[in-house]
Amino acid sequence: MIDVAGLPRPANAPKAGACVRAERPEPGLVELVLDPPHRTLAVFDLPLLCDLDAALDVLEHDALLRGLVITGRSTRQFAAGADIDALAELTEPALLARMVHLGQQVFERVARLSRERRGFVSVAAIGGAAPGGACELALACDFIVLANSKETKIGLPETQLGILPGWGGCQRLPRKIGVPAALDAILNGKLYAPRDALRFGLVDRTTNPEDLLRVARGIAMGREKLEHRERLLARLAVDRNPLATRFIAAQARKAVLAKTRGFYPAPLEALEIVARAPHTEFAAGFAAEVEAVARLGTGPIAKNLIRIFRLSEDAKKQKLRADGSSAEAATRIGVLGAGVMGRGIASLAAERGLWTRLFDIAPAALDTALAEHRAGIAEKRARRRLEKHEAERAVDRLDVTRTLIGFGRCELVVEAVAERLEVKRAVLGELARVLERDAILATNTSSLSVAAIAANLAGPERVVGLHFFNPVKKMPLVEIVRGPKTSAETVQRCAALALELGKTPVIVKDVAGFLVNRLLGPYLDECVRLFEGGVEPERLEALLFGFGLPMGPLELLDEVGLDIASHAAAALHAAYGARMTPAHALSVLLGAKRLGKKSGQGFYVHAHKPGSKDKPRLSGDLARFAPAGGPRLAVLRDEEILDRALLSMLNEAARALEEEVVAGARELDLATIFGMGFPPFRGGLCAWADTLGPKEIVARLERIAGEADIAARTGGRERFTPAESLKRMSQSGARFHA
Amino acid sequence: MADRSPLVLAAGIRTPWARSGGAFAREDAGHLGARVARELIARTGIDPGTLDEVITGIAGPPHDQANVSRVIALRADVPEHVPARTVARNCASGMESVATALTSIKAGEASLVLALGVEVMSRYPLIFSDKASAVFAQLSRARGPAGRVGAFAHFRPAMFAPRVALLEGLTDPIPGLIMGKTAEILAREFEISREEADRFALASHERAKSAREVGRFAREILPVLPLGAREGAAALEHDDSIRDEQTLAALAKLKPVFEKPDGRVSVGNSCGITDGACALLVTTEGRAQKLGLEPLARFVSWAWAGLDPARMGLGPVYSSAKALDKAGLALEDMDVIELNEAFAAQVLACMRASESDEFGRAKLGRTKALGTIDPRKLNPNGGAIALGHPVGATGARLLLTAAHELIEKRGRYALATLCIGGGQGGAFVLERIES
Repeated sequence: MIDVAGLPRPANAPKAGACVRAERPEPGLVELVLDPPHRTLAVFDLPLLCDLDAALDVLEHDALLRGLVITGRSTRQFAAGADIDALAELTEPALLARMVHLGQQVFERVARLSRERRGFVSVAAIGGAAPGGACELALACDFIVLANSKETKIGLPETQLGILPGWGGCQRLPRKIGVPAALDAILNGKLYAPRDALRFGLVDRTTNPEDLLRVARGIAMGREKLEHRERLLARLAVDRNPLATRFIAAQARKAVLAKTRGFYPAPLEALEIVARAPHTEFAAGFAAEVEAVARLGTGPIAKNLIRIFRLSEDAKKQKLRADGSSAEAATRIGVLGAGVMGRGIASLAAERGLWTRLFDIAPAALDTALAEHRAGIAEKRARRRLEKHEAERAVDRLDVTRTLIGFGRCELVVEAVAERLEVKRAVLGELARVLERDAILATNTSSLSVAAIAANLAGPERVVGLHFFNPVKKMPLVEIVRGPKTSAETVQRCAALALELGKTPVIVKDVAGFLVNRLLGPYLDECVRLFEGGVEPERLEALLFGFGLPMGPLELLDEVGLDIASHAAAALHAAYGARMTPAHALSVLLGAKRLGKKSGQGFYVHAHKPGSKDKPRLSGDLARFAPAGGPRLAVLRDEEILDRALLSMLNEAARALEEEVVAGARELDLATIFGMGFPPFRGGLCAWADTLGPKEIVARLERIAGEADIAARTGGRERFTPAESLKRMSQSGARFHA
Repeated sequence: MADRSPLVLAAGIRTPWARSGGAFAREDAGHLGARVARELIARTGIDPGTLDEVITGIAGPPHDQANVSRVIALRADVPEHVPARTVARNCASGMESVATALTSIKAGEASLVLALGVEVMSRYPLIFSDKASAVFAQLSRARGPAGRVGAFAHFRPAMFAPRVALLEGLTDPIPGLIMGKTAEILAREFEISREEADRFALASHERAKSAREVGRFAREILPVLPLGAREGAAALEHDDSIRDEQTLAALAKLKPVFEKPDGRVSVGNSCGITDGACALLVTTEGRAQKLGLEPLARFVSWAWAGLDPARMGLGPVYSSAKALDKAGLALEDMDVIELNEAFAAQVLACMRASESDEFGRAKLGRTKALGTIDPRKLNPNGGAIALGHPVGATGARLLLTAAHELIEKRGRYALATLCIGGGQGGAFVLERIES
């Protein structure tokens, strides 16, 4: 019996033996069904592992046993991986080490059955998702059979959570499919569809869900003989060749570093363990996995990544009504305005299966929208991500029109026309007359208030803000903005739509800048002022990029467009007053016709050819846009520059939380990560703030507020005077996250 | 309770007609048809689940979409419970779909039908010769490298000359005549000169150009950005076969194409090979009212007639006689006449035949001539010579254009008629609905 003392156990754990059912469909064959009654989705928590262990104990004493099938409670469900909730709570490396060791031991018992009995065959029969630990259990069996269904996916995504496969995956996967393929799977953390998993040998057979158990039993009992892929040559030439594995590992390390920029240790450690696996004894390999997971899993990065994972899972619940039923996403939508945002939204919707009707008065805009949509589909088709008929359907689903007729059957309409109140009210007002009463009228506005747009529209309960970010297909966040009368049902339906489009929804109040743009405002403005004050652009960009943001502030401004940024800054100033007073440099640059990426030049010079891979370079003549008589800020230390930029954002976040713009710090963190690319390894803006602590934050803010150039400029003090909530937290010692 | 209210054309829309091998060269009948179907459904606001059927007329269905109507229906998001069929009557397939729909409705089998006419002649296939096909078959049966080499040895370069389905499709196998040759026969018999034919062709272009410039077709046409459009291309908004700069001199320079050197039929005074799709919603007046739609016209009568395949160009005369008789009307009662311009000589022959007493007595079994086709009422907005003739779609366009022209002119009756390869004619009589 394994020692479980002190290990985390869920509150509603059932009695012993309830999680695993042993069935005997025929003599000599046992089928272990993972069916924990306390979970809607089976998870390898302590009760399940213990019951599995006990079941294996019985099997080891059954001399007549020839075959074993392990399967989930249905062909649509196998098991999720480890108990993420428990992992989130574990802070002691020693305890985590025991959890890891426990899983290894239990799965090793499965593998041992085949090793110690001649002719014994174990088969994992999987339908539904099998991530992480579930995949590792399958790898401990002789063969893996997958059901060919849309919901079936298998892989090892642990590195995405800041850890690595610790239940034997790092050892068994490279032995099964070779080091290069194993590195690819583990370092990218991808979940593979059945066809791909079969192709590179992760699984051994696929079949229809209806035939899954029959086929698995046939293999287990020797009626169907499967062979392991013969990889002798690959094994000798690559896996067991230290020179070859060193080369491959070096290449993989380069690729990982390029992606993670060195911020994430888990993939690098996984790389080492996996590359060495073929010439490491199992015992040593398992020990390495335990040590690495215990250390990484209790570290801050894994904790942050796990928290973000749980937050985004929770965000999915926003489509649920009070009674637990799920609101439906629209299947037919209208998009008004074929500018960059409108056509992005329309193309995304059509791609994801919604019948979409796109309107614009300019025929050229509609032509561009269609052409881009078709090109995107063609590219997916070329990469074999879509079958021919799926690609045709995706093209069919986007229709364009130059008039506002034909929208009557749309369940939701989102307008993305010019940011002018009369225009938005006009188009939505016209549609309100022809749409069904419960059709949702959504606005993608970023600078106007939903309340102003909704005023006097029939059915205000169905008016809402649905704020996408640019570029629509890449940015994962959608802000759902509640108007004054927006109903809960409308919000839930919007959340359902956002999820259907592959986005993460965050519900925000109808205030200027909503949440993300309101936080970006002071951050970008402060960076522009640092630039104005003589901080070299290269240094400024490097510092913020080095903090972990996806790009420096000047590059972000170029991407957004200096005209848009300027307009947004003015709106924030009008709404929030002195603390949002904008710097001058943007208008000077705009005066010189530098709009950023869209005009080919802003702070950077951008490549002219579309699709060119040349990186933009900073303009050589930026010095002339920094006014001569301004403060000399180049003398600031690196930490001071970072503080001015990031704490201005944090201070605003504290105010936003005071005003309940979002539900809480968790939602704010999620929004910063998905909306502006705040580094996930830091957990989000508030999580990062907690690493400083409120006392330190208040002290730094007050110091900055008192600096000569800040105090001298309009709005400088106001921007950096600590928000009330921060002062209160500093006194009570409270943090953003409990 | 059976709905016996009159049959109506409730709404219609078409793509521009595009010269084959041009803007729509990479288009596909299923995609193009679905586009107009979706648009008509959206604009009329009907619930596609209430359609009784989707019927498509097409002369050359794509080999991989045998029942292209079903493909169109499903790609237009018509629910799968709505049945669909594809019909063919050569050049009149677009009219056949409407006639079939109306017959169904009259019989009480349907009440609301989507009838389309579609043709993408650009995609007519090139076919391997029989000799080449035999060698391919041998190749696929071959076992082992020796067998394959043996099969390859039978290939000859001449085998790769393809059969052009377009040309073969436009040839009537019974008299062994390509369509243009039937027009030559009529030109000789009715003493139509080359110059007369060219003048008629010029008028077609001039009228079509004017119609386009005053936006006459704007009500009918849905601009389309075709599949395979070049980067930066704009949606096609107008029928692109119209030659704005056409002159008699330019027409005269063209050599006769079907009978050299003395023929009267050139490519300039023939209809253009074109691609296009047209969707029409047909129903009863009562149903249209319930759906909140303002119908374009009533269907008064329609008729098909058969005649000598070698003289198929006279089909409009035969079929119009039948349709007019059914309606109890005369040719002179028509305010608008859409007579498809397969060939200028063919249209002129129809005009001479209908005003000939001898023809009326000998061929139509009447006591005198059918009547006079007033040139001012004939194809006032140009015809297939300028606009093109996407074979399976034309019939539907004639109905749509005639209905709109009736409204425009505030006329009472319109006749839409065409000749049909193989020796037939089809004709419809429409009536404007007083509002």
